[in-house]
Amino acid sequence: MVQVDLEVRGEEGSKMEIDIKKQTDNELIFIVDGVDVPFINAIRRICMMEIPKMAIEDVDIIRNDSTLFDEVLAHRLGLIPITSSTASESIIFASECDCGGHCPKCSASFILKEKGPKVVYSKDLKPEDPDIKPVYDTVPILRLKKNEEVELAAIAQLGIGLEHAKWEPTTACAYKYYPKITVDDNCDSCGMCAEECPRGVLELKKDKIIVVDAENCSMCGTCMRICPTGAIDVGGEEGKFIFRIETDGSLSPQEILTKACEVLSEKTDRIIEFC
Amino acid sequence: MIPIRCISCGKVVSAYYDEYQKRSEDGENPKEILDDLGITRYCCRRMIIAHVEAW
Ligand code: SF4
Ligand code: SF4
Ligand SMILES: [Zn+2]
Ligand SMILES: [Zn+2]
Repeated sequence: MVQVDLEVRGEEGSKMEIDIKKQTDNELIFIVDGVDVPFINAIRRICMMEIPKMAIEDVDIIRNDSTLFDEVLAHRLGLIPITSSTASESIIFASECDCGGHCPKCSASFILKEKGPKVVYSKDLKPEDPDIKPVYDTVPILRLKKNEEVELAAIAQLGIGLEHAKWEPTTACAYKYYPKITVDDNCDSCGMCAEECPRGVLELKKDKIIVVDAENCSMCGTCMRICPTGAIDVGGEEGKFIFRIETDGSLSPQEILTKACEVLSEKTDRIIEFC
Repeated sequence: MIPIRCISCGKVVSAYYDEYQKRSEDGENPKEILDDLGITRYCCRRMIIAHVEAW
Protein backbone atom coordinates (compact mmCIF):
# COMPACT_ATOMS: atom_id res chain seq x y z
CA MET A 1 0.00 0.00 0.00
CA VAL A 2 2.72 2.41 1.00
CA GLN A 3 4.67 1.48 -2.09
CA VAL A 4 1.74 2.27 -4.38
CA ASP A 5 1.44 5.60 -2.70
CA LEU A 6 5.11 6.40 -3.24
CA GLU A 7 4.89 5.39 -6.87
CA VAL A 8 1.99 7.72 -7.47
CA ARG A 9 3.80 10.64 -5.92
CA GLY A 10 7.04 9.72 -7.64
CA GLU A 11 5.61 10.60 -11.01
CA GLU A 12 6.38 14.27 -10.47
CA GLY A 13 2.83 15.39 -9.86
CA SER A 14 1.44 13.82 -13.01
CA LYS A 15 -1.54 12.71 -10.96
CA MET A 16 -2.39 16.22 -9.85
CA GLU A 17 -5.86 17.32 -10.83
CA ILE A 18 -7.20 20.84 -10.59
CA ASP A 19 -10.86 21.75 -10.79
CA ILE A 20 -11.69 25.45 -10.82
CA LYS A 21 -14.82 26.27 -8.81
CA LYS A 22 -14.95 30.04 -9.01
CA GLN A 23 -12.95 32.60 -10.93
CA THR A 24 -13.31 36.37 -10.82
CA ASP A 25 -10.90 39.30 -11.21
CA ASN A 26 -9.66 39.03 -7.67
CA GLU A 27 -10.80 35.64 -6.42
CA LEU A 28 -9.99 32.08 -7.42
CA ILE A 29 -11.32 28.94 -5.73
CA PHE A 30 -10.15 25.54 -6.95
CA ILE A 31 -9.98 21.95 -5.82
CA VAL A 32 -6.61 20.31 -6.11
CA ASP A 33 -6.25 16.55 -5.84
CA GLY A 34 -3.15 14.39 -5.64
CA VAL A 35 -0.81 16.66 -3.68
CA ASP A 36 0.50 16.65 -0.11
CA VAL A 37 0.48 19.26 2.64
CA PRO A 38 4.14 20.37 2.32
CA PHE A 39 3.62 21.09 -1.38
CA ILE A 40 0.31 22.93 -1.12
CA ASN A 41 1.49 24.88 1.92
CA ALA A 42 4.67 25.93 0.11
CA ILE A 43 2.50 27.29 -2.70
CA ARG A 44 0.31 29.13 -0.20
CA ARG A 45 3.23 30.74 1.58
CA ILE A 46 4.92 31.80 -1.66
CA CYS A 47 1.64 33.33 -2.92
CA MET A 48 1.47 35.46 0.21
CA MET A 49 5.08 36.29 0.83
CA GLU A 50 7.26 36.08 -2.27
CA ILE A 51 5.36 37.47 -5.26
CA PRO A 52 6.67 40.94 -6.18
CA LYS A 53 4.21 43.80 -6.49
CA MET A 54 4.24 47.59 -6.31
CA ALA A 55 3.55 49.67 -3.20
CA ILE A 56 4.36 53.23 -2.19
CA GLU A 57 7.64 53.19 -0.30
CA ASP A 58 8.90 56.80 -0.17
CA VAL A 59 6.80 59.90 0.35
CA ASP A 60 8.13 63.47 0.07
CA ILE A 61 5.63 65.60 1.92
CA ILE A 62 5.87 69.22 0.86
CA ARG A 63 2.76 70.39 2.67
CA ASN A 64 0.26 68.65 4.93
CA ASP A 65 -2.26 70.86 6.74
CA SER A 66 -4.58 67.97 7.62
CA THR A 67 -5.06 66.51 11.09
CA LEU A 68 -3.15 63.36 10.04
CA PHE A 69 0.50 63.17 11.07
CA ASP A 70 2.90 62.90 8.12
CA GLU A 71 3.85 59.36 9.23
CA VAL A 72 0.22 58.25 9.32
CA LEU A 73 -0.38 59.79 5.91
CA ALA A 74 2.65 57.98 4.46
CA HIS A 75 1.51 54.73 6.06
CA ARG A 76 -1.96 55.08 4.55
CA LEU A 77 -0.46 55.72 1.13
CA GLY A 78 1.69 52.60 1.47
CA LEU A 79 -1.36 50.41 2.04
CA ILE A 80 -3.20 51.51 -1.12
CA PRO A 81 -2.94 48.68 -3.65
CA ILE A 82 -1.23 49.70 -6.90
CA THR A 83 -1.80 47.83 -10.19
CA SER A 84 1.29 45.71 -10.71
CA SER A 85 0.68 43.48 -13.75
CA THR A 86 2.90 45.47 -16.11
CA ALA A 87 5.18 46.76 -13.35
CA SER A 88 6.26 43.31 -12.21
CA GLU A 89 7.64 42.78 -15.75
CA SER A 90 9.01 46.23 -16.54
CA ILE A 91 10.32 47.43 -13.17
CA ILE A 92 13.27 46.01 -11.26
CA PHE A 93 13.88 45.86 -7.50
CA ALA A 94 15.42 49.05 -6.15
CA SER A 95 18.10 46.95 -4.44
CA GLU A 96 19.15 45.62 -7.87
CA CYS A 97 19.18 49.03 -9.53
CA ASP A 98 22.44 50.98 -9.79
CA CYS A 99 20.79 54.41 -9.43
CA GLY A 100 21.17 54.33 -5.65
CA GLY A 101 17.89 56.16 -5.04
CA HIS A 102 14.96 56.00 -7.40
CA CYS A 103 14.76 56.19 -11.16
CA PRO A 104 12.18 55.14 -13.80
CA LYS A 105 13.79 51.69 -13.99
CA CYS A 106 13.06 50.83 -10.36
CA SER A 107 10.23 53.20 -9.37
CA ALA A 108 6.93 54.76 -10.35
CA SER A 109 5.91 58.11 -8.96
CA PHE A 110 2.66 59.81 -8.02
CA ILE A 111 1.77 63.43 -7.33
CA LEU A 112 -0.91 64.54 -4.91
CA LYS A 113 -1.90 68.20 -4.73
CA GLU A 114 -5.29 69.12 -3.33
CA LYS A 115 -6.96 71.98 -1.51
CA GLY A 116 -9.84 71.72 0.96
CA PRO A 117 -12.59 71.54 1.89
CA LYS A 118 -12.74 67.95 0.61
CA VAL A 119 -11.94 64.33 1.25
CA VAL A 120 -8.92 63.28 -0.79
CA TYR A 121 -9.34 59.87 -2.44
CA SER A 122 -6.97 57.42 -4.09
CA LYS A 123 -8.25 58.63 -7.48
CA ASP A 124 -6.63 62.02 -6.74
CA LEU A 125 -3.16 60.40 -6.77
CA LYS A 126 -1.86 61.35 -10.20
CA PRO A 127 0.33 58.56 -11.60
CA GLU A 128 3.28 59.22 -13.84
CA ASP A 129 2.73 55.91 -15.68
CA PRO A 130 -0.99 55.30 -16.44
CA ASP A 131 -0.48 51.52 -16.15
CA ILE A 132 0.77 51.83 -12.57
CA LYS A 133 -2.07 53.43 -10.62
CA PRO A 134 -4.25 52.77 -7.55
CA VAL A 135 -6.50 49.74 -8.00
CA TYR A 136 -9.47 51.45 -6.33
CA ASP A 137 -10.59 55.04 -6.91
CA THR A 138 -12.58 55.25 -3.71
CA VAL A 139 -10.04 54.78 -0.91
CA PRO A 140 -10.28 57.84 1.39
CA ILE A 141 -6.77 59.08 2.22
CA LEU A 142 -7.30 62.24 4.27
CA ARG A 143 -9.78 65.01 4.94
CA LEU A 144 -8.98 68.68 4.36
CA LYS A 145 -10.91 71.55 5.95
CA LYS A 146 -11.43 74.90 4.25
CA ASN A 147 -8.18 76.30 2.82
CA GLU A 148 -6.11 73.39 4.11
CA GLU A 149 -3.74 71.95 1.53
CA VAL A 150 -1.78 68.81 0.87
CA GLU A 151 1.09 68.48 -1.56
CA LEU A 152 3.34 65.46 -1.86
CA ALA A 153 5.25 63.17 -4.19
CA ALA A 154 5.06 59.42 -3.61
CA ILE A 155 7.43 56.80 -4.98
CA ALA A 156 6.21 53.23 -5.48
CA GLN A 157 8.70 50.39 -5.67
CA LEU A 158 8.65 46.65 -6.10
CA GLY A 159 8.77 44.49 -2.98
CA ILE A 160 7.65 41.20 -1.46
CA GLY A 161 5.42 40.36 1.51
CA LEU A 162 8.36 39.00 3.51
CA GLU A 163 9.60 42.57 3.80
CA HIS A 164 6.35 44.38 4.62
CA ALA A 165 2.65 43.42 4.56
CA LYS A 166 1.91 46.22 2.07
CA TRP A 167 3.69 44.08 -0.56
CA GLU A 168 1.46 41.06 0.07
CA PRO A 169 -0.68 40.62 -3.05
CA THR A 170 -3.17 38.26 -1.35
CA THR A 171 -5.75 39.21 1.25
CA ALA A 172 -7.10 35.71 1.87
CA CYS A 173 -4.96 32.81 0.78
CA ALA A 174 -5.81 29.51 2.43
CA TYR A 175 -6.70 25.89 1.84
CA LYS A 176 -8.72 23.29 3.72
CA TYR A 177 -8.95 19.53 3.43
CA TYR A 178 -11.69 18.33 1.14
CA PRO A 179 -14.32 17.21 3.69
CA LYS A 180 -15.16 13.54 3.80
CA ILE A 181 -18.39 12.77 5.64
CA THR A 182 -19.42 9.19 6.30
CA VAL A 183 -22.51 7.81 8.04
CA ASP A 184 -22.38 4.14 9.06
CA ASP A 185 -25.06 1.53 9.85
CA ASN A 186 -25.40 2.62 13.49
CA CYS A 187 -27.40 5.64 12.35
CA ASP A 188 -30.97 5.53 13.68
CA SER A 189 -32.15 8.44 11.48
CA CYS A 190 -32.91 10.76 14.36
CA GLY A 191 -31.96 13.73 12.17
CA MET A 192 -30.20 15.67 14.93
CA CYS A 193 -27.00 16.12 12.95
CA ALA A 194 -28.87 17.68 10.03
CA GLU A 195 -30.69 19.99 12.40
CA GLU A 196 -27.56 21.14 14.21
CA CYS A 197 -25.18 21.57 11.27
CA PRO A 198 -24.56 25.33 10.95
CA ARG A 199 -23.67 25.08 7.26
CA GLY A 200 -26.64 23.11 5.93
CA VAL A 201 -24.39 20.30 4.76
CA LEU A 202 -26.63 17.43 5.85
CA GLU A 203 -30.26 16.60 5.13
CA LEU A 204 -32.57 13.83 6.37
CA LYS A 205 -34.34 12.40 3.33
CA LYS A 206 -36.46 9.26 3.49
CA ASP A 207 -34.92 8.20 6.81
CA LYS A 208 -31.41 8.55 5.49
CA ILE A 209 -28.78 11.20 6.08
CA ILE A 210 -27.68 12.71 2.76
CA VAL A 211 -24.63 14.91 2.31
CA VAL A 212 -25.96 17.73 0.16
CA ASP A 213 -23.06 20.21 0.17
CA ALA A 214 -19.84 18.57 1.37
CA GLU A 215 -17.59 21.42 0.15
CA ASN A 216 -19.33 23.87 2.44
CA CYS A 217 -18.54 21.78 5.56
CA SER A 218 -16.23 23.64 7.94
CA MET A 219 -15.30 20.45 9.84
CA CYS A 220 -16.59 22.02 13.04
CA GLY A 221 -17.54 18.57 14.39
CA THR A 222 -20.96 19.64 15.71
CA CYS A 223 -22.66 16.71 13.96
CA MET A 224 -20.23 14.24 15.56
CA ARG A 225 -20.76 15.68 19.04
CA ILE A 226 -24.54 15.68 18.78
CA CYS A 227 -24.91 12.21 17.28
CA PRO A 228 -26.21 9.80 20.00
CA THR A 229 -24.94 6.67 18.25
CA GLY A 230 -21.58 7.85 17.01
CA ALA A 231 -22.58 6.99 13.47
CA ILE A 232 -21.32 10.07 11.69
CA ASP A 233 -17.68 10.84 11.01
CA VAL A 234 -16.15 13.95 9.47
CA GLY A 235 -12.59 13.92 8.23
CA GLY A 236 -10.47 15.16 5.35
CA GLU A 237 -9.72 13.37 2.13
CA GLU A 238 -6.06 12.48 1.86
CA GLY A 239 -4.28 14.65 -0.69
CA LYS A 240 -7.33 16.68 -1.73
CA PHE A 241 -7.74 20.35 -0.84
CA ILE A 242 -10.01 23.31 -1.49
CA PHE A 243 -7.76 26.30 -2.14
CA ARG A 244 -8.88 29.92 -2.14
CA ILE A 245 -6.90 32.96 -3.26
CA GLU A 246 -8.32 36.44 -2.88
CA THR A 247 -6.13 39.36 -3.95
CA ASP A 248 -6.07 43.09 -3.21
CA GLY A 249 -6.42 43.70 -6.96
CA SER A 250 -2.78 44.57 -7.63
CA LEU A 251 -2.31 41.22 -9.40
CA SER A 252 -4.86 38.62 -10.51
CA PRO A 253 -5.00 35.33 -8.57
CA GLN A 254 -3.98 33.48 -11.75
CA GLU A 255 -0.83 35.61 -12.08
CA ILE A 256 0.01 35.03 -8.43
CA LEU A 257 -0.46 31.27 -8.65
CA THR A 258 1.57 30.96 -11.86
CA LYS A 259 4.41 33.00 -10.38
CA ALA A 260 4.28 31.01 -7.14
CA CYS A 261 4.83 27.82 -9.14
CA GLU A 262 7.80 29.44 -10.91
CA VAL A 263 9.31 30.56 -7.60
CA LEU A 264 8.85 27.08 -6.10
CA SER A 265 10.52 25.38 -9.04
CA GLU A 266 13.43 27.86 -8.89
CA LYS A 267 13.82 27.05 -5.20
CA THR A 268 13.81 23.30 -5.81
CA ASP A 269 16.32 23.74 -8.65
CA ARG A 270 18.60 25.55 -6.23
CA ILE A 271 18.33 22.73 -3.68
CA ILE A 272 19.06 20.13 -6.37
CA GLU A 273 22.11 22.11 -7.52
CA PHE A 274 23.33 22.53 -3.95
CA CYS A 275 23.04 18.80 -3.25
CA MET B 1 -10.55 58.14 8.82
CA ILE B 2 -11.34 54.47 8.36
CA PRO B 3 -8.24 52.23 8.21
CA ILE B 4 -7.33 51.52 4.57
CA ARG B 5 -7.39 47.75 5.06
CA CYS B 6 -8.99 45.19 7.33
CA ILE B 7 -6.55 44.83 10.21
CA SER B 8 -6.96 41.03 10.26
CA CYS B 9 -6.95 39.92 6.63
CA GLY B 10 -5.84 42.97 4.65
CA LYS B 11 -8.88 43.43 2.42
CA VAL B 12 -9.20 47.01 1.19
CA VAL B 13 -12.40 47.73 3.15
CA SER B 14 -12.00 51.53 3.03
CA ALA B 15 -12.79 51.49 -0.70
CA TYR B 16 -16.35 50.45 0.12
CA TYR B 17 -16.94 52.65 3.14
CA ASP B 18 -18.50 55.67 1.42
CA GLU B 19 -20.95 53.50 -0.45
CA TYR B 20 -21.83 51.58 2.72
CA GLN B 21 -22.33 54.83 4.62
CA LYS B 22 -24.54 56.32 1.95
CA ARG B 23 -26.69 53.24 1.51
CA SER B 24 -27.16 52.66 5.23
CA GLU B 25 -28.19 56.30 5.69
CA ASP B 26 -30.77 55.68 2.98
CA GLY B 27 -32.22 53.01 5.24
CA GLU B 28 -30.87 49.83 3.66
CA ASN B 29 -30.20 46.82 5.90
CA PRO B 30 -26.45 46.73 6.80
CA LYS B 31 -26.30 42.96 6.33
CA GLU B 32 -27.62 43.23 2.80
CA ILE B 33 -25.24 46.06 1.89
CA LEU B 34 -22.22 44.13 3.14
CA ASP B 35 -23.30 40.96 1.30
CA ASP B 36 -23.87 42.97 -1.85
CA LEU B 37 -20.46 44.68 -1.61
CA GLY B 38 -18.79 41.27 -1.30
CA ILE B 39 -17.50 41.88 2.22
CA THR B 40 -18.05 38.33 3.40
CA ARG B 41 -15.61 37.69 6.27
CA TYR B 42 -16.54 38.84 9.75
CA CYS B 43 -13.13 40.45 10.28
CA CYS B 44 -13.86 42.84 7.40
CA ARG B 45 -17.53 43.32 8.31
CA ARG B 46 -16.65 44.55 11.81
CA MET B 47 -14.16 47.06 10.33
CA ILE B 48 -17.05 48.78 8.56
CA ILE B 49 -19.83 48.31 11.11
CA ALA B 50 -17.73 49.37 14.10
CA HIS B 51 -16.06 52.39 12.51
CA VAL B 52 -16.84 55.82 13.92
CA GLU B 53 -15.68 58.76 11.81
CA ALA B 54 -14.03 61.00 14.43
CA TRP B 55 -12.06 63.46 12.32
S1 SF4 C 1 -18.60 19.11 10.66
FE1 SF4 C 1 -19.90 20.89 11.08
S2 SF4 C 1 -20.21 21.82 9.06
FE2 SF4 C 1 -19.46 19.76 8.69
S3 SF4 C 1 -21.29 18.51 8.44
FE3 SF4 C 1 -20.72 18.37 10.62
S4 SF4 C 1 -21.87 20.00 11.61
FE4 SF4 C 1 -21.94 20.42 9.40
S1 SF4 D 1 -27.30 12.31 14.58
FE1 SF4 D 1 -26.28 10.33 14.23
S2 SF4 D 1 -27.93 8.82 14.47
FE2 SF4 D 1 -28.93 10.81 14.23
S3 SF4 D 1 -29.32 10.97 12.02
FE3 SF4 D 1 -27.34 11.93 12.39
S4 SF4 D 1 -25.85 10.29 12.03
FE4 SF4 D 1 -27.85 9.31 12.29
ZN1 LIG E 1 16.79 52.94 -10.01
ZN1 LIG F 1 -10.87 40.98 6.97
